[in-house]
Amino acid sequence: MGLGILCLLLTFFLDSQPLHVRFWTNFLQNTVFFTGIAFITLFIYAAFITSWAGWYTQFKRVMEAMTMFLVPGLVLLLVVIAGLWLGWHELYHWASAEEVAKDQVLLGKSGFLNKGWYTLGTLVIVGIWIFFAMRLRSLSLAEDQNGGVDFAHHRKMRIFAAAFLPVAGFSSAAIIWQWTMSIDAHWYSTLYAWYTGASWFIAANATLILLLIYLKSKGYYQGVNEEHLQDLGKYLFAISIFWTYLWFSQYMLIWYANIGEETTYFQTRMHDYPVLFYGNLVMNFILPFFILMRNDTKRKYGTLVFVCVLVILGHWVDFFQMIKPGALDTAIHAAGAHGGETISGAGGHGDHGAFHMGFTIPGLLDLGAMLGFAALFIFVVFSRLEKVALEPTNDPYMAESVHHHV
Amino acid sequence: MDTAQKEVLFGLYDDEEVLLDAVRKAKGDHLEIMDVFTPFPVHGLDPALGLEESRLHIAGFIYGAIGTLFAFGFMTWVFTRDWPIIFGGKPYWSVPAFIPITFELTVLFSAIGMTVTFFTICGMWPGVNNPTLDDRITDDKFCIAFNTNGQSKTEVDRLKSFFKETGASEVNTKVI
Repeated sequence: MGLGILCLLLTFFLDSQPLHVRFWTNFLQNTVFFTGIAFITLFIYAAFITSWAGWYTQFKRVMEAMTMFLVPGLVLLLVVIAGLWLGWHELYHWASAEEVAKDQVLLGKSGFLNKGWYTLGTLVIVGIWIFFAMRLRSLSLAEDQNGGVDFAHHRKMRIFAAAFLPVAGFSSAAIIWQWTMSIDAHWYSTLYAWYTGASWFIAANATLILLLIYLKSKGYYQGVNEEHLQDLGKYLFAISIFWTYLWFSQYMLIWYANIGEETTYFQTRMHDYPVLFYGNLVMNFILPFFILMRNDTKRKYGTLVFVCVLVILGHWVDFFQMIKPGALDTAIHAAGAHGGETISGAGGHGDHGAFHMGFTIPGLLDLGAMLGFAALFIFVVFSRLEKVALEPTNDPYMAESVHHHV
Repeated sequence: MDTAQKEVLFGLYDDEEVLLDAVRKAKGDHLEIMDVFTPFPVHGLDPALGLEESRLHIAGFIYGAIGTLFAFGFMTWVFTRDWPIIFGGKPYWSVPAFIPITFELTVLFSAIGMTVTFFTICGMWPGVNNPTLDDRITDDKFCIAFNTNGQSKTEVDRLKSFFKETGASEVNTKVI
């Protein structure tokens, strides 16, 4: 299933080669999006373990498998890093030495925004995440084989999970500044890390629900019923509101302070990218809020699948609008500096409000690239999942999970 | 709520599982349960008793919507019609600044509205007489109560034997 779409993806890559900005922004966006999903799944999993939750135990193998995407995620990020060093792309304004030299703001930030930190930060931080993911998964699997009544594995998992939570909080903030916030190199927001974290959380949550419903339709996980789905749906509802809270806080503080270097971020998005800007809110707040408000919509497969697909797309669009405008701007500057080559698009000169496929609205190529990455993600998850027993056997919380009742 | 005096026959159980079985058996035997008292929410009791889902949350949504409209409408009226003031160089009708207050009034309206509705439905205004059958139902006992007003001796005996069969630890009567 995954391979078919993967081939499709390759075609898309070849096709979009001339517009190298579009290719690289898509690449970065999807890499960050899906790696983030894997990371935040690990975070959710660690939070569940730390809080002694029991209801999720039946399907914890799915969550463990989802965290395993961190490994291919790191490989994909290495491609971005290689591009950074070898000059394959113009994603980051701060990456070009001559630009930084004549820019006072970037010069001030160059202690953090430079190629060395980018590489080191990505390697070390994603490496740490992979270590915790591997450790928790192997402990959880070892419990199946030789877990005893003293629950030694579980105690150990609890220590690792608790240790991971603060590490995850700080490291994800630091690395997301590098990965996506630094695309708009002049702009910054201290809420940004929370905001992207909430975005990932919803996407990961929706992915988990979709995977569970798919696996159920194939006859696995018969013990996972609408009680579990309702709890997952509640998370979806709650974190959607949390995301909106952060979205609005970031927007309102910048609107209120009215400082030029900060408002430019939203000015660009509201005037040149209106579909993305308002569509983002409709998809990620208004629709899920009203659909998931009722009790039964969280318990019925139809509505739940609809909302899950909607918010996954919605948060993918969210990352789309975080990355595209800044990267396009950088590319226009770079093209101007090199001379000759011109890049059209919104944010270009006097081109306000125009629709530009792949930048102001996602085109088919971008959706295709997203499907390709999604297929890779699903392929990794299922290949990890098929190697292990789907339901844990010696977990002390298994009985609680089976009898879960909202 | 009728305020007439009631003669109540009630049985106390020590465990919620025993209580649940007893409630199911009472339903099967077509005994009319007046009420069930438990010290904490028992999972599965509502469907066992055949209670409908509460509609309080629908009322809450309506109150919340009223709060949203009231807050937003009021601020719009004040800042565009009644007393326009420029704050920090922003337009009179500055929507982002209204959002937090709108949100807060939405929560306030729905919370107070639901509380008042709930108390009104339950008849719990100040000074209301609220007798308990047994103080231990707020602690560790689970209680099924039957209204035995105007019931014959055989009917009452049938209820008593029901308590005995289902494992009630105590059976008492009380007039409330």
